Amino acid sequence: MRLRITHETRYDYVPAVETAQHMVYLTPLNRPFQQLLNSQISVSPEPAVISSALDVYGNTRHFFAQNVPHAQLIVSASSEVNTQASAVPESHIAWEATCAHFQYKAGQAFDAGSVFSFDSPMVPRHLEFADYARVSFTPNAGLLQASLDLMGRIYTEFTYESNSTEVNTPALQALVQRKGVCQDFAHIFIACLRSLGLSARYVSGYLLTSPPPGMVKLRGSDASHAWVAVYVPDFPEGGSWVDLDPTNNKAGWYSPGEDYVTLAIGRDFSDVSPVRGVIHGGANHVLHVGVTVEPVGNHNEPTTPLQGGGQNQSQSQRPQG
Amino acid sequence: MAYSLRMNVNSQTGALENPATGFDALAQSLAIKPGHFDEMRGGLNQALHTAPCDPWRQFAATLPSDASTELTRRSASLARQVHDNGITYNVYADTNGPQRPWSLDLFPLLISPENWQHIEAGVHQRAVLLEHLMVDIYGPQQLIHQGALPAALVHGNPGYLRAMHGVQPVGGRFLHLAAFDLARGPDGLWWLVGQRTQAPSGLGYLLENRLIVSGQFGTAFDALRVQRLASTYQTLIESLRAQSPMGPEAHLALLTPGPYNETYFEHAYLARYLGLTLVEGSDLMVRENKVFLKTLKGLVPVHGLLKRVDDQFLDPLELRADSTLGIPGLLQAIRAGNVLVANAPGSAVLESPALLSFLPALSRQLLNEELVLPSLPTWWCGEHSVMEEALANLSRCAIKPTYPGALNQGAFEAMLGTQQDPGSLQNWDQRIRGNPQAHTLQAYLPLSQMPTWRVNQNGKSGLEARSLMLRVFAVSDGQDGWKVLPGGLARVANARQDLIGMQTGGSSADVWALSQGEVERSTLQQPHLTPESLIQRKRMVTSRAAENLFWLGRYTERTENALRLARLTLESLHGDEQDCPALMRWLGQMAKVNTLVMPEVPSPQQSAHVFERALIESLGSTEGATSVGFYLRALKLSASNVRERLSQEHWRIITHNEESLFAQWRTLCQEGRCSTQQAQQLLKETSDQMAAITGAQTDRMVRDDGWRLLSIGRHIERLSFMARSLNLALDCGSLATNGGFDAMVALFDSDITFQTQYQQSREMVALIDLLVLDQDNPRSLSWVTKTLRGRLAKLAGSPDHASSTLSRIVPDSNTWDLMHLYETSESAMAPGLPFGAEPLDMQVPYAHFKQLLAACTEAAHRVSNDISATYFTHSERLERSVGS
Repeated sequence: MRLRITHETRYDYVPAVETAQHMVYLTPLNRPFQQLLNSQISVSPEPAVISSALDVYGNTRHFFAQNVPHAQLIVSASSEVNTQASAVPESHIAWEATCAHFQYKAGQAFDAGSVFSFDSPMVPRHLEFADYARVSFTPNAGLLQASLDLMGRIYTEFTYESNSTEVNTPALQALVQRKGVCQDFAHIFIACLRSLGLSARYVSGYLLTSPPPGMVKLRGSDASHAWVAVYVPDFPEGGSWVDLDPTNNKAGWYSPGEDYVTLAIGRDFSDVSPVRGVIHGGANHVLHVGVTVEPVGNHNEPTTPLQGGGQNQSQSQRPQG
Repeated sequence: MAYSLRMNVNSQTGALENPATGFDALAQSLAIKPGHFDEMRGGLNQALHTAPCDPWRQFAATLPSDASTELTRRSASLARQVHDNGITYNVYADTNGPQRPWSLDLFPLLISPENWQHIEAGVHQRAVLLEHLMVDIYGPQQLIHQGALPAALVHGNPGYLRAMHGVQPVGGRFLHLAAFDLARGPDGLWWLVGQRTQAPSGLGYLLENRLIVSGQFGTAFDALRVQRLASTYQTLIESLRAQSPMGPEAHLALLTPGPYNETYFEHAYLARYLGLTLVEGSDLMVRENKVFLKTLKGLVPVHGLLKRVDDQFLDPLELRADSTLGIPGLLQAIRAGNVLVANAPGSAVLESPALLSFLPALSRQLLNEELVLPSLPTWWCGEHSVMEEALANLSRCAIKPTYPGALNQGAFEAMLGTQQDPGSLQNWDQRIRGNPQAHTLQAYLPLSQMPTWRVNQNGKSGLEARSLMLRVFAVSDGQDGWKVLPGGLARVANARQDLIGMQTGGSSADVWALSQGEVERSTLQQPHLTPESLIQRKRMVTSRAAENLFWLGRYTERTENALRLARLTLESLHGDEQDCPALMRWLGQMAKVNTLVMPEVPSPQQSAHVFERALIESLGSTEGATSVGFYLRALKLSASNVRERLSQEHWRIITHNEESLFAQWRTLCQEGRCSTQQAQQLLKETSDQMAAITGAQTDRMVRDDGWRLLSIGRHIERLSFMARSLNLALDCGSLATNGGFDAMVALFDSDITFQTQYQQSREMVALIDLLVLDQDNPRSLSWVTKTLRGRLAKLAGSPDHASSTLSRIVPDSNTWDLMHLYETSESAMAPGLPFGAEPLDMQVPYAHFKQLLAACTEAAHRVSNDISATYFTHSERLERSVGS
């Protein structure tokens, strides 16, 4: 599926901001089952410097700085990608064997997939997560099967509710209140896996805004979305991660589906926050974020431009999915 | 300081001895705890009568025969010096909290030439090894891939900075400075206990220790051939310059978290000693990937930072977003190679105690060498077999967090398994099994003990044994090698507590590394100066320093004004004129306007007694009324933010004055009520000391723009105070009375001039002449406005000639005219006067005079606001992080 993504972030400041520095993760990844065709970022006011570089996980991030007073900042990112659906490969490894595989033994070669098994700023390991997970992770259960089961439980046992949490709500609190948005579900899912000794990472991305005719509109399609990838050591070479979306109960190899766009991967939200900055001045600000993901070309009926997330909303720019 | 190693301490305090005894006799009473190495006698479990061995024997030989008396004298002299030099260690990050004097023991720790060579070689080797580790951790990570280093100690360590991965630091090296904590075991061997690379403290304190202790033992210091320290500091600074992007011309700064940090004293001290600009994060900014210092004259490039800020706080854009100590964009500047930061961010991974257990193998692999200095046996519980082995010995171990300083749940302080009961040990066992990676066990080592000199509460003195740990520093040698500082900081345990750590009441000792050969004598040379660097250095007044100096000036003047007003008021309430209603009215209102008493306090006419009590009780209060004590404390706080610009004497008078006012006031109030006489005496003493403070400001500070702002601050405050006082006196009619007239002259500190020039003629015209127009009286409005205009005009080659605009705000006294001001009424405005535009009220006496006073008050206000807007705005901490 050929998809066009537009993601506009607008800050209105009172009083004006004197200087600002930002770091953004707004360029989709180029990887198997997702080819990045083009991508642009434009910033207003025109920054003094804008530069881009890959981070330690291979995500593209941009830095820019403005040294002129401004009452409004607009960051517009647009890109096109080609996506393909991918079935989940077979896996037979038990989850305990996976944990043992990650354990350090002197002189034994290390598996790079294990670097996502440690605590991260927003996802601490905790006994309560492990307890919740063990219902799915029964003794000798297969890693993949148990992960899919856990995804299904989060999907059914948690209430999806906008504004029930804030961007910094700890994962543990969201676990206790059994509700949240996609970011919370992703963090809880990751915390469950890591608390057992498994390796899981956070995926920031998008969903198709308006579903193809006859299909149900998915949660999180009007904003940025987030889901989880779990490391499965016995997957085929080069693709050891399975992507699981606990918000919509969908899973796939490299991506939960053809209608998903992968933006960036990290340990948790704090590694790949779409827009992060330090401003000087501007005591108060209002944030508007608009995200639209639509099919391009004759692959699908052209979508009506006013539908979906085209209208700007006043919301915190966090994965709402 | 971040360390806090628990340890056992001798519970028997050494016997306290009779005076006038030689050191050898004293030494026989020094009891060392069994099982601990005896530094003085050079062995384990030595008999009390065993004589001191070298080098302690040589040291003892230099002491006089009445060692006891002499050591007590020197001990007192040392304590005085620590106090006089203002060496402090902030216990809590509390502005009003006490700064504790640095604790320093009289005796140095003596290290024999052979022992020192061994330590030096071992520390040097470890520094080399740590740099190798950084190169691999932030580069190919081969050690992790081979299984030589667990990923948990890097990827699982909050100190591992992903933002630094793949970065090649400018100058080619990550580490420029490393501290190693050593302890001497029962066998007399030195063991490595831990290492600090992130922002190691001690380099400043140890210099002060050396300065003071070597002065107390001059003969011994020469006789024992103690190695000198200065050239190593020189090496560090030259090396930082050489490796920075600008080379020898580099502008280096010391980055401090600020005055609330517990070791701020040493930041200011080191900056001055090393010739670095002392900066806080908010003093710096990043533009186009380059670092700049915000100064009064604009942005000045900075090429190198010796940092004392922890890594996570360095850059709120990429690291902790809530940090106010950092510089947004700093990591980009580092990655671009535009600034050298010592040490490169990310070295906190090296501080994990768990790393110690992997170092012997890593040394073999990377250096092909065995470690010269062994690490204390250490077990990282993240490896299952190791954990099982270690847990079997839990009761003989110290339990330490693998990730020191981590803030997540389950974070804990290091503690001793040897001190836990079986139940508690079992809890720890389970806790460790629940999260093995986060726990590291280290063998318990009884620390060696050295003699210290103690004077007890009864004045009896004698030797006491104390356990110690030694911190040794290695610094970059300018190329790719290391130089070990020949000396160090000995940290000495408190007798009662089980912790070594300056925050828990421990002490410190100088460390004498002895040499067999010639001692290198050099003192720190100022860095290579070129005309350009000299000009740049002279101009450097940071915006933050400027703002603090401005407020230092204002609070100095406010303190003086409050003092003079309080003294005058107390005197008048009991003087000949106490029945003069106009005077009492004026004094009552003055006290309220200047917040010496709260507004609801009865006026002197209503109840002179209640008014007086309120005035006295507010003197040392820091709540409610803002009186002398409040301003004195504010003065000290402003001064503490610019300590590196004040001489030690200057700073000492400031702290002494503040401390003594509060201490005396508290005592007086506790004893019942503070009498008028006592209050007067207290105010007089405080005034005398204020004279020393203002004297130091006038005579002992470099007259750069920073000083100019201090002076401007004082004159703004003086102008406003005088104008308001005169205006109030006109309103109260007090100037028409003898008492009121004299009080005003006294308040302006002009009694002597008045008596000599006007022969007691209490005429309004004389008053206006002296207090308003006299160009030679430093308390006249004319003199104050003239000085203010002059200082403002000279202020920094400021943006758009802001200084001359500023100076024009202040009324020009050349346009003032005695007759005009004296006129009691006039129907029209006098032409040519720059101030006031409203038509005059014909009924108001001295309308022109009052108009002038209003203009002066207004000018003081406006100049202050405009100065803040022009010079200080970029020093404000207005930055905030936004995220989405």
